[in-house]
Amino acid sequence: MGEPEGSVRPDGDRPPREPDRGVDDPRRPLVVALVGNPNTGKSTLFTALAGIPTRIGNYPGVTVEEKVGRFAHRGRTIDLVDLPGTYSLVPKSPDEQVVVDVLHGRLPGVPVPDCIVIVADATNLERNCYLATQALALGRPAVVALTLCDAAEEKGISIDAAELGRRLSCPVVPVVAPARQGIEELGDRIIAAVGTSPPPPRGLERHAALVDSRHEPAAREAIARYAWIEELLDGVVQRRPPLRPPLAERIDAVLTHRVWGTLIFAATMLAMFSAIFWLATPLMDWISAGVDAVAGLAESLLPPGAIRALVVDGVLAGVGGVVVFVPQIAMLFLFVAVLEGCGYLSRAAFLMDRLLCGVGLGGKSFIPLLSSFACAIPGIMAARTIENPRDRLLTILVAPLMSCSARLPVYLLLCGAFVPNVPVGLPWLRLPALVLASMYAVGVLAAATVSLVLSRTVFFGPPQPFVMELPGWRWPRPAVVLERAREAVWSFLQNAGTLIVAVSIVIWALSTYPHDTDAIEADVAAGRASLAARLAELPADAPDHEALSVELASLDTEDGLAAARRGAAQRQSLLGRMGRLVEPLVRPLGWDWRLGCAAIASFPAREVVLGTLGVIYNLGDVDPGEEAGASALVRRLRAATWDGTNRRVFTLPVALSIMVFFALCAQCASTLVVIGRETGSWVWPVVTFTYMTVLAWLAAFATYQIGTRLLG
Amino acid sequence: MPAVLAPVSLEEVAVGATARVADVTGDDPTTLRLLEMGLTPGVSVRVVGTAPLGGPLELELRGYRLSIRRHDAARVAIAK
Repeated sequence: MGEPEGSVRPDGDRPPREPDRGVDDPRRPLVVALVGNPNTGKSTLFTALAGIPTRIGNYPGVTVEEKVGRFAHRGRTIDLVDLPGTYSLVPKSPDEQVVVDVLHGRLPGVPVPDCIVIVADATNLERNCYLATQALALGRPAVVALTLCDAAEEKGISIDAAELGRRLSCPVVPVVAPARQGIEELGDRIIAAVGTSPPPPRGLERHAALVDSRHEPAAREAIARYAWIEELLDGVVQRRPPLRPPLAERIDAVLTHRVWGTLIFAATMLAMFSAIFWLATPLMDWISAGVDAVAGLAESLLPPGAIRALVVDGVLAGVGGVVVFVPQIAMLFLFVAVLEGCGYLSRAAFLMDRLLCGVGLGGKSFIPLLSSFACAIPGIMAARTIENPRDRLLTILVAPLMSCSARLPVYLLLCGAFVPNVPVGLPWLRLPALVLASMYAVGVLAAATVSLVLSRTVFFGPPQPFVMELPGWRWPRPAVVLERAREAVWSFLQNAGTLIVAVSIVIWALSTYPHDTDAIEADVAAGRASLAARLAELPADAPDHEALSVELASLDTEDGLAAARRGAAQRQSLLGRMGRLVEPLVRPLGWDWRLGCAAIASFPAREVVLGTLGVIYNLGDVDPGEEAGASALVRRLRAATWDGTNRRVFTLPVALSIMVFFALCAQCASTLVVIGRETGSWVWPVVTFTYMTVLAWLAAFATYQIGTRLLG
Repeated sequence: MPAVLAPVSLEEVAVGATARVADVTGDDPTTLRLLEMGLTPGVSVRVVGTAPLGGPLELELRGYRLSIRRHDAARVAIAK
């Protein structure tokens, strides 16, 4: 096998099957499975043994992550398989089912492990022995790795590893993974264990006979197993009072305090959210500038024409649209990995559980939903930290309803241009600010309602166990934290990135073709005639007179004509025709067909809607993020009228209906692609798109109709 | 009859108090998970704290911290 270490294979690209060689053949890589409870330092042990994983993918048929690392020990090649953390071999989730299936060799294409490394946390041996004894009962070659021995020492716990090994009939190796203590010995023990068939430890049956027979068989086994473990550990684990009063105890008392804990939590979340929101922005600007520079280079190198347009407006714009998400994803996962590594993630879930329980979610949904206010993509990916599959799916489905940063420019422009700047009640509270805040509230309320309704209907089922360990406080390991962020970014680029680029190219093509020059010229001429006709009807002192004459005069300049042609080309394209086709659907929202067009054209990403409006209203490429571009766009939008009339398109009710629509719609292809990837099914993006679009339409309809009645 | 009723389930145990588990009722996955996490008859449990707004309980048992929801704590019967 000449596979370089450290290379990551894309999803589904499994290495070729090894020829069927015996275990004794030194050329055959040994398959070693790492099994253990969550929060036991399993990831740190994986990194200490195998370094960076050589392959990350999904197990066949499920969205449970498969992580494999290859390393060599004493001349043997070892493939280390990191199984998801589990508390028991009686599976209750897809993750746990995978662990059981892999250990029994029941997954196609995944070989039966030659040796099982059972990770047991020395600070919490009693509960860790539950899974350990279950795994040993399989009778397969096994080694117990006793992790976090340094933390146990600090807590005043000492463990007689040799005696424990005798009682379990299995080697027990104490390790301190970050310091690489015991790692060599663990490797030796793994190789020595391969090919043996150790006797499963005895004693469970004796205790099972003593348990009250009214319990279910599985419950009886659990009770008997703990009774047996207490006996196994008697004399093996010694506890003396810790040297100093445990700091962790005092930290915990503050951080999970009802008042202080909640305040510290709010501050931590605010800091995390601001960092994602503000720190990522300059990085994203640099990426955009870099992509623009490459686009400029391509423009100067390629001759004008279809190929150049494809490369610049299709491919490069698509790649830029993917890479721009990387800073936010990396930053969120760095935060999540630090919070998880030090044990705070569970405390956060503990504090927020009641609030989210009320809408059918759980405490672990909080961070994914909060980060969706910056961007739904990292938010949806962060839902990986939710073990319960039902809660995870529900969180993913409602996360895009949180108002992400891409909606902000739309809100700001429309609030600034069409919402009267008057104080409401308090002198410092002005109407545009109130409307802006309401848009965020609309998203949160919609998410709460959808989640509540779905959890009571489609997702209704027996309550899922919410039994969560609050792991001990410890310093996060930098290697594990960095690996987590790297992994998230990689999986986004590899799995979702390619598809997002493909979707962008398709949308570009739809808004570019067919490119019929005659139709475009006819459209431009018709536009000029209608402008001239409107201008002739208006008295010279009418408020629109100046704007219309400027627009008409601009058609005689080179830039103005080019912009008008671009607008005409977009209106004549397939996408433009779709906009005209949906006009009956958007009319009840108070929109004209141009707005329908802009809404459809903003499917790749909702922030492009302003740019699209600029193109459709013959402004050419305006940058709505800049003062000049925004004010030009606002002037043009204010002057826009329904075809053939002097009735304005943009009134306050229409502006509100647009904002409400964009607050709730699923106009973000990248989000839908990521939902598809994270759920492993194309059903969920379709469901998300459908329900969000229906919801957005209904809410925009209600807003426009009520707004028109109230405001006249 | 005593003036204050003694707690009968873990849900009613005061913060800071320690209790001994008598039984875990029910036969669904939640009961099994509670047992698997070590809440078995005879084990001693300390209620460390509670989350705001009637949120979950933080427990200490078998040398580690566990969080369970109130309505799940109600099915853990306490020894007299």
